[in-house]
Amino acid sequence: MHPLLASRARLGAYLLGWAPITLLLTGIARSQGWSWAEAGLLALPLCLLAAFLFLSAWFLCRALPLGRSLESLGPHAAAWGMAAALMGGLWAGLAWILARLLAWIPGLGALPQRVGIALPVLTGLGILLYLASVALSYLMLAQDRAIEAERKGAELQLLAQESELKALRAQLNPHFLFNSLNSLSALTAVDPARAREMCVLLSDFLRRSLGLGERRLVALREELDLAEAYLAIEQIRFGTRLRLAWAVDPATEPALLPTLLLQPLVENAIKHGIAALPEGGTLSLAADVVEGHVILKVENPMDADAPAPLGLGLGLRQVRQRLLGRFGSRARFETTMLDGVHRVTLVFPLETEL
Amino acid sequence: MKALIIDDEDLARAVVREHLAAHPDVEVVGECANGFEALKAAAQHEPDLIFLDIQMPKLDGFEVMELLEAEGKRPAVVFVTAYDQHALRAFEAQAVDYLLKPFSKERFDAALTKARALHAAQPGTPAPVAAELAAAARQGKPLERIVVKDGPKVTVVHLDRLDWVQAQDDYVLLRTEGKNLLKQQTLAHLELQLDSSRFIRIHRSYILNLDRLIRIEQDSKEHRDAILRDGTRLPVSRAGYQRLRELWEGDSL
Repeated sequence: MHPLLASRARLGAYLLGWAPITLLLTGIARSQGWSWAEAGLLALPLCLLAAFLFLSAWFLCRALPLGRSLESLGPHAAAWGMAAALMGGLWAGLAWILARLLAWIPGLGALPQRVGIALPVLTGLGILLYLASVALSYLMLAQDRAIEAERKGAELQLLAQESELKALRAQLNPHFLFNSLNSLSALTAVDPARAREMCVLLSDFLRRSLGLGERRLVALREELDLAEAYLAIEQIRFGTRLRLAWAVDPATEPALLPTLLLQPLVENAIKHGIAALPEGGTLSLAADVVEGHVILKVENPMDADAPAPLGLGLGLRQVRQRLLGRFGSRARFETTMLDGVHRVTLVFPLETEL
Repeated sequence: MKALIIDDEDLARAVVREHLAAHPDVEVVGECANGFEALKAAAQHEPDLIFLDIQMPKLDGFEVMELLEAEGKRPAVVFVTAYDQHALRAFEAQAVDYLLKPFSKERFDAALTKARALHAAQPGTPAPVAAELAAAARQGKPLERIVVKDGPKVTVVHLDRLDWVQAQDDYVLLRTEGKNLLKQQTLAHLELQLDSSRFIRIHRSYILNLDRLIRIEQDSKEHRDAILRDGTRLPVSRAGYQRLRELWEGDSL
């Protein structure tokens, strides 16, 4: 189906484009001494006919795509020329038939003779108009291709994001899991009640992280719940070495953000911060609302003897990419290292609906 | 048999202690939450057997073992870890065993039996293995830090703070932050473990951190010097110069 016929708006715009051509044709006829009635009554139906007849150029153009090489241009030009000559002739022929039909109307008796004289001009004009249609068709085809490419690109990007999320889900830290199971193994002998508590916490954490992976966006509340479950387990493992400072403004809880954005920050804080310090330290998590934005901070002490990390690790890079992928320039991602405290700050608009 | 349990998690130590309770011939002489405590306790108690976690703060399990080796202490070692099991496959060729957390009573007893046999065999002086084990566990990734025992003090040298290394007979001299540290190791052995795109053997006796190099000066036809940021001059051999050039040409491609 021709793209101009597929939408009313497009068809309307196209036909409007023919109005000046109709006026031009009328003007030419008037300048040759035609009456208003003769010029108008012939030009209007003739242009309408041309408008639909010349749509056929699009099919020709689609069959003869423009390549990058100049070699195909010769045969293409020959085809355009032949089609244009054919269409120009056909159009002039139609004008002649139309004139015969209109001659029945009183006062238009001279029309066949006038058209007879103008046939070469009409043929030439038809050829020119057809070639213009060819040019227009190529433009439309190019535009369609561009739109299609853009759509495909967006689709690919979406696919890439989804597969990344799948990979994140599969990334359930085995080291964490086995160490937790080992703690559990120890507790069964020394403190069965805590062993049971640990079982429940571990199940809770696993269930939440499996459930979260199904969605692209979640409320901050759910991310916080997951982090809480995770940290409760780590507190059993690390005992007094892990201390928590939790300061969450309830107003931030419904804010939507990409799934599993907080978890890597908390895991990093344990792995590279608390676990690397013999005496442990305090992991601080804060969420506040400032001017319609959520400010989420995760802080942990770092071993002062270890060299400052060069650039971001893979986990933090993915967090930044996914945050900016969702919110663009409306979000910010920062990491700082000050006085032995590593801090990651996420700032993003507080939005509660998709 | 005297045993030492080294793990930074209380509960992880508790499991080992619990399993050992079934073996009255093994006496637990100490429990340590990090590598430094472990070295102190080992010096004090001379254990025959150590249960050793790998990932710990400050010093990892391999570094603890290496430092014990450097003092001539060769207790039987059982690594107890949640480490990736593929990384530990190389252990099977060595005279150490490992337990993957969490482990069963049967597996624990088997490891203990193996350790007892090793202890009873009393071989002359076994070769140091900690560095090899660590290299295997890194799975091809280059070394990130070096531990040096300097009298009673242990220093951890992070490699981006290491300027250059000089061979001195059976020792290497490490130059870091204005200090010289001596470690018993050969230069060739150290060279193998370093990242070859950052550390270059510029001379039979020298390895240089490329980051410290400013320029090469040619004094005579066959004699070149590397000039470092702090003004130090190190000799560059013909083979060393060749290696530098290969690296630069590789970069510019």
